[in-house]
Amino acid sequence: MSLRAPPHNRLPLDMSRLSDACSLRLALSFEPRKLISAPIPLPLVEVQFEAEGIATLWVQVPNSMATQYRPGQYFMCWNPYDSTGGMSRPHFHSEKPYSVGDIRVGHSHAHQLVEAETGRQGRDFLGFTIKDLGRQSGELTRLSVGDWLAIRGPFGTAFPQMNAGERLVLVSGGIGSTPMHMAAREARHRLGDDVRIEAIMGFRNAEESHYVSRMESICDSLRITTDDGSLGTQGFPTALLPELLGNYHDGRTVLLTCGPEPMMLPVLQMAVDSAIKCYAAMERYLPCSMAVCGLCMVGDRLICKDGPVMDGDWLLQQDDFGSSHGHWAAVG
Amino acid sequence: MPDLSVGLPGLVMHNPLMLASGVQGGSARALQRVAASDAGGMVTKSIGPVPREMYPGPVCVEAMDSVVLNAMGLPNPGADVFAEILSNENFSKPLLVSIFGGCAEEYVEVAKKLDDAGASAFELNLSCPHSKPGSRALIIGQQAKSIHDVVSAVRDAVDAPLYAKLTPNTTDITIEAKAALEAGADGLSLINTVSAIEVDPYAGRPVIGNLLCGLSGPAIRPIAQRKVAEIALSMRRGEIPSAPILGIGGINTGLDVARFVMLGASAVQIGSALIWGDVEKFKEISVELSEFMDLNGYRDISSMQGIALDSLEGLS
Ligand SMILES: Cc1cc2nc3c(=O)[nH]c(=O)nc-3n(C[C@H](O)[C@H](O)[C@H](O)COP(=O)(O)O)c2cc1C
Ligand code: FES
Repeated sequence: MSLRAPPHNRLPLDMSRLSDACSLRLALSFEPRKLISAPIPLPLVEVQFEAEGIATLWVQVPNSMATQYRPGQYFMCWNPYDSTGGMSRPHFHSEKPYSVGDIRVGHSHAHQLVEAETGRQGRDFLGFTIKDLGRQSGELTRLSVGDWLAIRGPFGTAFPQMNAGERLVLVSGGIGSTPMHMAAREARHRLGDDVRIEAIMGFRNAEESHYVSRMESICDSLRITTDDGSLGTQGFPTALLPELLGNYHDGRTVLLTCGPEPMMLPVLQMAVDSAIKCYAAMERYLPCSMAVCGLCMVGDRLICKDGPVMDGDWLLQQDDFGSSHGHWAAVG
Repeated sequence: MPDLSVGLPGLVMHNPLMLASGVQGGSARALQRVAASDAGGMVTKSIGPVPREMYPGPVCVEAMDSVVLNAMGLPNPGADVFAEILSNENFSKPLLVSIFGGCAEEYVEVAKKLDDAGASAFELNLSCPHSKPGSRALIIGQQAKSIHDVVSAVRDAVDAPLYAKLTPNTTDITIEAKAALEAGADGLSLINTVSAIEVDPYAGRPVIGNLLCGLSGPAIRPIAQRKVAEIALSMRRGEIPSAPILGIGGINTGLDVARFVMLGASAVQIGSALIWGDVEKFKEISVELSEFMDLNGYRDISSMQGIALDSLEGLS
């Protein structure tokens, strides 16, 4: 069984009109419950190279979706023509959860740049930044403009919103950078200079590094670690965390983290030890996202519904949190 | 306060609301989570002779409001692993262990293993393709002879109560009900999902990874009610043996439960509704049901049971 994109004997497509029509379709489906509950295919309007094996896929969405998305929430992303796809293949996960990495809302500065490039005025876009960590994500990173990506969502919990005068500490590992960027972006957007944002981004090496300039432009301070020392400080993000947490015992700091569980566990532990409120965005494979398969549990909660953003203190008390089983699958 | 309790073979429950098979109930942890809710009882994910992986996604979507499509592919840990779970865990609520196989021998193999591990009652999921040559195009539950073979073989192998779960995808469901009951089933569960397919016109292909799927959720509730009514009427007329019916299909409110009970069901199962309310649905629905019964003067479940069938008596 092989599935192919619709036949090529069709008339040439006007991609701009097609993208607008798909965006309208999203809007109609999204409006009643603020949820796209069945996958809607969208043509990619732009594919942005981020680093070796990491790409951002841009799709056009209605303004309501772009503005109502809350950092931390995820979409199920499906490539309906996954070339190695077929029926009943074991371990063949053709649809997986990804959180949004970047958003372009009409009239923002970034948006005007795209408008200039594409001539698409007043439109809004979601960017999914995907790292090639396995078969499904690998296929996604190799898509090009005009290829289809079907999405449904947004599902799950979001990071708590920051208040004026608070400090936000963001700790990411690898592709966990994407929800951290959205959290930073939302806090800055809502509170301007009334929030202090300090971030640590951990990467395997310099080649893997991405989103650095995005974070630099938003955060008050940015520290980078790499496992091999090829960029920033050598080591894990936890090496730099004490100096960042040490300064803040005022009850006005919130720590958010996203990355492999073995990284998040000590990060959350340090925060809890310093009496700092903390939350983690869990990156595990979610087979259904609908609370029906029951295969996404941590403790007695379902990550697809009660997560992906979960309370750090609570996570630390769960015996099935912190090993590496989830990470490859969630984003692979 | 009305009395919601029901007592059926293998199922002594404080309310008639059970978890339907295949929704969340595939692991000890997930079943314990449901047991801790207000559910009266539970049905496990269908367990087969060997472990099975999930189909490619999307595996479950809501295609339109209240229209749920799924093709999970009966993912399950297999009889050996599930036997361990059953021996190690104690559940605070009655449990029907749902089993499936490709032929009578496989059902028996699974039933025996799980019976030894302490299963107190079984539900036979008959919505599986027949693995034997000649019958492959149909699922077991579409062939009265296959139903009879499977149910009587399991009946001979174990003493625990058996509920046969029927598919709605046949011409006259009383034929399948009769085959199951005459072969020794203690009760019936119905309905399983309705055969379906949905295409995304922009993608030019079906929206479910497995292409073909089953329809569930509120969209199928009237279909399920009709099937329950047909069987209950047939029992009243003495055309088929009488036995308790577990009504399933699209139940999302307390009133929905009353509808099934009034058409003859003794208890109900709830699956898709967990998409919208997770396990808290059981509490919500039981509160609604209790309030409804209180308002309308129904003392207990049996005082409502079958009352809507009276108007159908004359139909043939
Ligand atoms: C995601 C999903 C998985 C299911 N898996 C099974 C299964 O393993 N065995 C079974 O007998 N029925 C299975 N069913 C069918 C349900 O038990 C039930 O009969 C059907 O969904 C109708 O009830 P509902 O509308 O309350 O969901 C499944 C249904 C859904 C939605
Ligand atoms: S992903 Fe299936 S229940 Fe959470």
